[in-house]
Amino acid sequence: MTAPALRTAALAVGYGTRPVVSEVSLSVAPGTLWAVLGPNGSGKSTLLRTVLGLLRPLGGEVTLFGTPLARWERRALARRVAWVPQAFDGDAGFTGLELVLMGRAPHQGGWGLPGPRDLAVARAALVELGIAHLAGRVVSQLSGGERRLLLVARALAQEPALLLLDEPTAFLDLQHQAQVLERVRARVRAGLGAIAVLHDPNLAAAFADSVLLLRDGRVLGQGPSVELLDAERLGRLYGLGLAEARTEAGHRLFAPRGTP
Amino acid sequence: MTTVAGPLAVEAGSVPGAVRFTPARATLVLGGLLALVLAAVGTAALLGEYPVDLLHALADPASADGRVLFGLRIPRAVLGALVGASLAASGSALQALLRNPLADPFVLGVSGGAALGATLALALGLQALAGPSLFAFLGAVAAMALVLAAGRARSSPYAALLTGVVFNAFAAAVITCIKTLLTPDRLGEVLYWLAGSLGYERPRTLLLGGALQLVALGVLWAESARLNLLSLGDEEASSLGVPVRRTRALVLLAASLSVAGAVALAGLVGFVGLIVPHLLRLWLGPDQRLLVPASALGGAAFLVLADALTRVLFPVFHAEPPVGVVTAVLGGPLFVWLLNRREQPA
Repeated sequence: MTAPALRTAALAVGYGTRPVVSEVSLSVAPGTLWAVLGPNGSGKSTLLRTVLGLLRPLGGEVTLFGTPLARWERRALARRVAWVPQAFDGDAGFTGLELVLMGRAPHQGGWGLPGPRDLAVARAALVELGIAHLAGRVVSQLSGGERRLLLVARALAQEPALLLLDEPTAFLDLQHQAQVLERVRARVRAGLGAIAVLHDPNLAAAFADSVLLLRDGRVLGQGPSVELLDAERLGRLYGLGLAEARTEAGHRLFAPRGTP
Repeated sequence: MTTVAGPLAVEAGSVPGAVRFTPARATLVLGGLLALVLAAVGTAALLGEYPVDLLHALADPASADGRVLFGLRIPRAVLGALVGASLAASGSALQALLRNPLADPFVLGVSGGAALGATLALALGLQALAGPSLFAFLGAVAAMALVLAAGRARSSPYAALLTGVVFNAFAAAVITCIKTLLTPDRLGEVLYWLAGSLGYERPRTLLLGGALQLVALGVLWAESARLNLLSLGDEEASSLGVPVRRTRALVLLAASLSVAGAVALAGLVGFVGLIVPHLLRLWLGPDQRLLVPASALGGAAFLVLADALTRVLFPVFHAEPPVGVVTAVLGGPLFVWLLNRREQPA
C-alpha cells in the first residue's frame, strides 16, 4: 500500500508558542476528501498552513507522501501540494489566465515561460470550473466569488496530489459552491487527496468522505462523515441546537433549531 | 448531484491579451524602448548652450565640437541613462516585493541614508576623494540594511516601508542640524547635492557604475518571475514553490545596491522610481518579467530627456535647474493624475 498523502501525529498548531489546537492525528489517503469543521478560531486554517509548512508545528509530526515535512524542498513540495487560501489580496492587475498560469510555476523553469502543456493545463482548469470567460479579464474587475474560482483553478492547474482548500466556498453563490466541490470530488475520484475547511455541515455531509471536528483546542471527533455527522454532535461542535432532516434521496440536512 | 454547466463555449485563453508576457511581445516592447533611449541620448547630446555640429564632431573628435560631444554630452547622457534605469527598475521590483504601489526606492530610507552620508562628507570637507559619493553609497547601503533587518523581524511588507519612512524623517532631522552648523558655501554644496543633478563623471566612474547597475538589474530581472509570485503575498508564493526569504533578501540587496550606486552618482533624483513603473504598468500590465527591463529602459529615456530639458531651460533661468527638480515638478502632478486615473473603474 502506498503512503498516505498526509499523516499527522499528535500535531499541535498555532501562532507563537500557544497552540490553537493540539493532538491532531490524521491520515489522508489518496482518493479521499476530508472536511474540517469547527467554530471560528478553532484552528482550521492554522492546521492547513502548518501542513503546508507555512507555519512551524508547535509539536508532533507532519509527514507528506511518506517524507517528513522538514525534509521537503519548497519547489518539490509545490509540485505535490496545492493550497487555496481564504482570500486573494495579491496584485489584482493580472488577468485570470495569468493568475491560473502561476499554478504552473513549480513545474516550470525559473523564468516561468509557459509551454504548450502549461497553457493547455491552465485553460483546462478554467474550463473545468466553468470560468473560461474569465481568462482575459483583469482580476481587479472581478467579484470576490470569481476571484475564489480563479484560485481554485490555479490550484487545480498545479496538478497536486494533495489539495488543501481553506473555505473554498466562501463568497460563492449556491450554484458555484456545489460546482467547486463537485469538481474537487471528481479529482478525488481520480486519486487526489483533499482537505477542505468548510463552514457548512451540509456541504460536508454531501461531499466529504471523512470529517475532522475541531473545538476548544482539541479534536472533538474524526472519521467517516456518514457516522460522525449528526445533529447532536454538530450541535456540540458549534454550541447551538441543530435540527436534522433527510431528503428523499437520503441526504442529511442540518439547520439551527432556532427559538420558537 | 448533477454537473453544473458553465459557459464552456468560450475557449479559455484564446482571448487575445489573456497572457501579456510572450517573448515576441517582450522583444517588440523592449526593442521599441531601447530605440527611445538611443533617441533620447541623441537628442540630449545635441541640445545645450553650445551648438554642436554633429558631422564636424564625428569627423574630428579632437575639435571643440568633438570634445563637447564625446567628452561632456555623451558621458552625461550615459550617466543619466544609468541613474534613470536604476531608479525605475528598482522601483518596479520594490513595488512588487512590498506589494505597495508607493514603494519608491527613496521611500525605503535610501534617500535619507544617502543624503545623511553625503551631507556628513561635505560638512567634514571630504570633497576631494569623491567623499560625498562614497559616503552617500555607504549611507544608502546602511539604510537598506536597516530596512532589511526590520523586514526580517516581521515579514509584513509594511514593516520595511514604515521603517524607511521613519528613518528618512530621522535622517532629515540630523541633516537639518548639520546644515545649521555649516558655512554658507558648504551649505550651498549640500543643497545642490541633495537636489540631485547630473554632472561630469570620469569614464572610469561611469564604467564602474555601469558594471554595478548591470549586475544589480540583472539580478532583479532574473528574479522577476518569482517577484510576480511574491506580489501575491509571501504565503501564496511559498505554496507555489518560491523560496520566499532568499528571493526577498536577494531583491532587496540588488535594489539597494543599484539605488545606492545611482544616488552616489547623481544625488537624490526623486519620482523616477514611482512614475516610470506606474506609467508602464498601465500599458504593459503587472508582469515583472516585462516591467523590470521596460522600467529600466523607460527610466533611462525619461531621465536623459529630463536632463536635456534642464539645459533647454538654461537661457530662461540663466542657470541649470538640478534634474531632480525637473523630475519632481513633472512627476508630482503626473503621479496624482495616474492615481486618480487608476481609481476609476475600467
